[in-house]
Amino acid sequence: MTARAFVEFIGVEKAFAGKPVLRGMDLAIGKGEILYIIGTSGVGKSVTIKHLVGFLPIDRGEIWFDGQRVDQLDERGFYPVRRRVGMVFQNATLFDAMTLTENVALPLRKHQGLGWKAALADARRRLAQVYLADFADRYPAELSDGMRKRAAIARTLTLAPEVVLFDEPTTGLDPVNARRIDRLIRELSRSLGVTAVVVSHDLPSIMAVADRVAFLYQGRVHALATPTALAASADPIVQQFIAGRSSGPMETPGF
Amino acid sequence: MSAAPSLPVRALAALGRPVVAAARATLELWGVLIGTLAGIIRSYGKGGRRPRGAVLAQMYAIGNRSLVFVAVTLGFIGMVMMYQACLQFSRAIGDLSQVGLQFLRLVVSDFGPTLTAMMLATRVGAGIAAEIGSMKVTEQLDALRMSGVLPIDYLLVPRFLASIVMTVALTILGAAIMYGAGGLTAWLSFGVNPRTFFDPAMVQPRHLALGLIKAVTYGAAIPIVSGFCGLRARGSSEGVGWATTAAVVGSSFAVIALDFALSVGALWLFGGDL
Repeated sequence: MTARAFVEFIGVEKAFAGKPVLRGMDLAIGKGEILYIIGTSGVGKSVTIKHLVGFLPIDRGEIWFDGQRVDQLDERGFYPVRRRVGMVFQNATLFDAMTLTENVALPLRKHQGLGWKAALADARRRLAQVYLADFADRYPAELSDGMRKRAAIARTLTLAPEVVLFDEPTTGLDPVNARRIDRLIRELSRSLGVTAVVVSHDLPSIMAVADRVAFLYQGRVHALATPTALAASADPIVQQFIAGRSSGPMETPGF
Repeated sequence: MSAAPSLPVRALAALGRPVVAAARATLELWGVLIGTLAGIIRSYGKGGRRPRGAVLAQMYAIGNRSLVFVAVTLGFIGMVMMYQACLQFSRAIGDLSQVGLQFLRLVVSDFGPTLTAMMLATRVGAGIAAEIGSMKVTEQLDALRMSGVLPIDYLLVPRFLASIVMTVALTILGAAIMYGAGGLTAWLSFGVNPRTFFDPAMVQPRHLALGLIKAVTYGAAIPIVSGFCGLRARGSSEGVGWATTAAVVGSSFAVIALDFALSVGALWLFGGDL
């Protein structure tokens, strides 16, 4: 029996309304690794990470997490997986009707079965860790984008996940806040051994933080390398993407 | 290369597609209803964890905030209906002594619950679909699932329970206002004696039971249909708009269809005594 990677996608296929997005994608991610997934819009980056937590069912293929096949689980079967795999969404996705503390307390209450008082106390501690202690009783609408994103990260980290999926974490943030998020991702991996899978278009982040980068093209991993090796790649498609050139060999549907 | 399908096959496929889509939607709607009932057991059964104050908050949003709208609308409808009824009665038989007796029976068993529910279908149905739909397209429902919460338990169960209670309460209020406004119109416009008009002699317990059953059924149907539409929202703001429109149309249609079904059922049960 072959040893499986901590997270592994094998021959994953996914189509929306008959239009294929993933076409037999293979990707293996090691424990504690920071892997960035890059590629043009609509290539299936966010779809890939959503498959891992069961938000979207795959059409064909296999997905493995820590030696367990997860692509065949039902909604209830994904509960234990979601306790170990956290996700930071592209938008902060905080619940508008709840204060920051209540937002962060929710997974503690539901996944860990804590009572409200204990969950709220723990949530306040988590918010202090992301420098939001003074805003704990505010509602999401009263905060800036960067604050909301930090609160969303605090909510994700409350369950001490082994894998954190970041969907474009720095999109819409100013450079200072973006670098803070980068630092947080690196600290999570280095201090706590968390595996980070990051979907991003932010090249400075990728170069500074990633251990490896998977470049998706036409529904498959076209290149998988360290950031430095990818930047030095002679592949004309990779070069066109990294240089951000509008003309070249890359096929971009709709243009 | 395989040959293109023939015209009859393509025509059949074109006809079949909406039928399959409608069948799938109906199944999903039942799924939402069963999921909500199961959610009530999960939340309120032994060891269940109910969301704190969620039902009360929804009762306020659905009931209190619809109060003026329902009261004013049913008051006006009561006046218009009674004016027309008196006009027709006076032309046809020239006797208005029975008009209040008949009107009360109709208000209790049909107009009160149905018209109140129609008003709630527009206001509450649109609100539920817009809120759940926008949560769906902004990935907040996925965030709920990541937090270990079933969206149906968190969003639909409190609305379902609150809607049943408040539809019954608003029906009682709406029916009273409609009847009162009708009586006032009959007295001021046609000189019908209020003592003759406000006579409950023709209202039997079965009429009250039918009105109550209708109110409970409508109160359950509106959040289920609207929540179902919200959960099906796709894309961005356009998808939320579509879901909101579908919720208003679907909830209103559900009220009318249930009114028909329950009225036919009651007629079958009680015959001419209804």
